[in-house]
Amino acid sequence: MLDLRRRSLVRRLILIAGIWTLLVVVIAGVFLTAQFRGAAIRRFDQSLAVLTDDLYAGSTVEGGVLKAPFLTDIRATRAYSGRYWVILDKSPDGAMKPIERSRSLFDSDLMLSSAQIDKLDAAPGKTQYFDMRGPQDKPLRAAAILTRLPGYPDPVVFLAAEDRSPIDADADRFARITAFALLILGGGLILGMVVQVRFGLQPLFRLRREVASVRRGKTERVEGVYPEELSPLATELNALLAHNQEVVERQRTHVGNLAHALKTPISVMLTEANQQPGQLAEVVERQAQTMREQVDHHLRRARAAARSQTSGERTPVEPILDELAVTLERIFQDKADGQGIEIDWRCPEDLAFQGEKQDLLELVGNVMENAGKWCRGKIRVDASPSGETRMIVTVDDDGPGLPPEERAQALKRGQRLDENAPGSGLGLSIVDELARAYGGSVQLGESPLGGLRVMLDLPRAET
Amino acid sequence: MRILLVEDDPDLTRQLKLALADAGYAVDHAPDGEEAQFLGETEPYDAVILDLGLPKVDGVSVLERWRRGNVTTPVLILTARGAWSDKVAGFDAGADDYLAKPFHTEELLARLRALLRRSAGHAAPSLSCGALRLDPRAARASVNGEPLRLTSLEYRLLHYMMMHQGRVIGRTELVEHLYDQDFDRDSNTIEVFIGRLRKKLGAERIETVRGLGYRLAPLPGEEAA
Repeated sequence: MLDLRRRSLVRRLILIAGIWTLLVVVIAGVFLTAQFRGAAIRRFDQSLAVLTDDLYAGSTVEGGVLKAPFLTDIRATRAYSGRYWVILDKSPDGAMKPIERSRSLFDSDLMLSSAQIDKLDAAPGKTQYFDMRGPQDKPLRAAAILTRLPGYPDPVVFLAAEDRSPIDADADRFARITAFALLILGGGLILGMVVQVRFGLQPLFRLRREVASVRRGKTERVEGVYPEELSPLATELNALLAHNQEVVERQRTHVGNLAHALKTPISVMLTEANQQPGQLAEVVERQAQTMREQVDHHLRRARAAARSQTSGERTPVEPILDELAVTLERIFQDKADGQGIEIDWRCPEDLAFQGEKQDLLELVGNVMENAGKWCRGKIRVDASPSGETRMIVTVDDDGPGLPPEERAQALKRGQRLDENAPGSGLGLSIVDELARAYGGSVQLGESPLGGLRVMLDLPRAET
Repeated sequence: MRILLVEDDPDLTRQLKLALADAGYAVDHAPDGEEAQFLGETEPYDAVILDLGLPKVDGVSVLERWRRGNVTTPVLILTARGAWSDKVAGFDAGADDYLAKPFHTEELLARLRALLRRSAGHAAPSLSCGALRLDPRAARASVNGEPLRLTSLEYRLLHYMMMHQGRVIGRTELVEHLYDQDFDRDSNTIEVFIGRLRKKLGAERIETVRGLGYRLAPLPGEEAA
C-alpha cells in the first residue's frame, strides 16, 4: 500500500517535469530555428537589393530603347550559375515583356506571378522581395523594383534573383544541430530530475523503513535526522509511539496495582479462615484460594497482552543469569541441610535475548526456581546461541528428575491459557506459556547430573 | 527474640502479631516506612518482617537506607509483588529472604526461624585484603563496605584466594577447591570465574602470573587498611 503510493509520487514528479521540459525544449527549438532562418534571409535580401539598385541606376534609355548596364559579376554571366537578373517592360495591357536579361539565364525566363505583380504595383519605387521558381525549377529568392525611366514609355521592373538552396541548407543544418543539442539538454534535464526526485525523496523512504522497523520491534522510536519538512512528522510519530506506550504502560500498571492490592486481603482471609474451624471458614478458604489463582492468572494475562503491544527490546543474558543465581542461592540457602545450593552458570558475554528483561527473568527464574526446589544441591545453567536468531538456555539439576510420561504432562497444562490451572505443579506451564508468546518452546529431558533438564528455546537479539 | 513487623494493613498486622506472639517472639509494629526506618536504626531487633508497599517511604528504600547505615539485621520481605524482577530487586536491596503474598502463616514462621538460626550461626573471623572484606559467617563479601553480589562458586573461589592472598595459586589447585567432585566442566572454567570476580571486585585486584596462575593482593596504597 505504502509502496504503491511511494512509486506514484516519484512517477508524478518525473512526469510533470518531463512534460514541462519537453514543451520548453520544443518551443525553444522552433524559436531558435526561425530566428536563424530569418536572419539568413535578411542578409541574402540585402545583397539582392544591391544588385537591383545597380541595374536601376546603371540602365540608360537611348531613343526609346533601354540598355542594361554592363555588370562585372561573373556569376551573372555563366549559364545557370544561380544568380540571375532581368529587366521587364510592363505594357499597358499588364503583360510583362523581358527587355534585357543576364546571360546566366541562357534561354529561360523569370516569370512573375500576378500576385507578385500586384505587390509591385502597390508600391512603385520600393524594393519588394519574394520567392519564385527559376531555371531547372530551382527555388529562387528575388528582389524587384517597379519604376519608370525618363524617356521610356512603359513602367519597367528591375529584378535580381539568386538560388536560395544554400541558405535553406544552412538553416536546415542549424535546425538539426539545434534539435540535437536541445534533445541532449532535455534528456539531461529529465535524467537530472529523476536523480533529484529519487535523491530528494530519500528521507521519505528512510522514514518509511524506520517506521517499519519500529513496527517490527527492532527499534523503539524514529531516531534518524530528517529535513525540516519531515522532522515534524518524525516528531509526531515519536509522540504517538510514546503515547501508545504510555497508555499500554498505564493499563498494565493499573491491572498490576489492582491485582497486587487484592493479595493482602486474600492473605488475611486465608489466615483468618485457617485459624477458625467450621464450614464458613472452609468456604472462605476455598474461595480465597480461587481468588488468589485468578489474580495470578489475570496478572499474567495482562502482562502478556501488554507485551504484544510494546516493541521488542534487547536484553543481555549474562547479568540476568548472575542476578538469578545470586538470588536463588540466597532463597535456597537452607536447602541440603543448611548447605544451600550451588548454581554453576555459563553464558557468552554478548548473548542477548530479543524481548523484555522482566520476561527473561520470569522465564529463566521460574525454571531455575523449579530446579532449586527439586535439586539435591547442584544446578547447572548454560545459555548459548543457536543458529542465526535463536538461543538455548539449559537448566540441569541433580534431583530425582521426571519420568518421560510425566514430562509431557508437565507441559501439556500450558497449551491453552483458559484451561491453565494457575499456581499448580512445577510452575513450568507458566514458562511454557511465556515461551510460546515469544515464539519459543520448552523441552524437558534427562540431565547428565541425574535430575531434570529443561531447555528453553528463545529468540536471540542481533549483536 | 525481638521482631520488628512493618505492615500497613491492620488486619494482617493483627493476625501476624498474634501468630508471632504465639510462637514466642516479642513484636514491635511500624505501620509506615518512616517509623520503620527509625525503629530499625535505633532498636536492636533480631529480625525484621518488611512489607514493600508502605505509606510515606516504600519498603525497598527503607531497606536500602538501613543497609547503607550498617544496619545488618536480617530482613524478610513480605510483598504482593512476586515477579522475579521484584524478587531480584529485593535481594539487591539487601533482603535475606522473600515471601510473596498471599502466604500461609506457618510458612512465614518457618522462614523466620531459618533466618534467625542462620544469623545466630557460629562466629568466624572475617578475612580482609585491602578494601576487600569477606565475612564467612554470613557468606558475604564487600569492597569498601559496598556488598558484593556473588554466587556460591564465586564466593568459594574468592574465599580460597583470600585465605591464600599474596601467593600465586595454580589453576589446578583452584579447580580442585572450586568443585568438590572430580570433574571440571570445561577447560576454561577458571578463566570464566576469574573474569567474573574481576568484573565484580575490580580487575586490578587479581593478578595473572603467566604460566603459573593467579594472585590476589591488596592494591598498592591499601596495605595500611
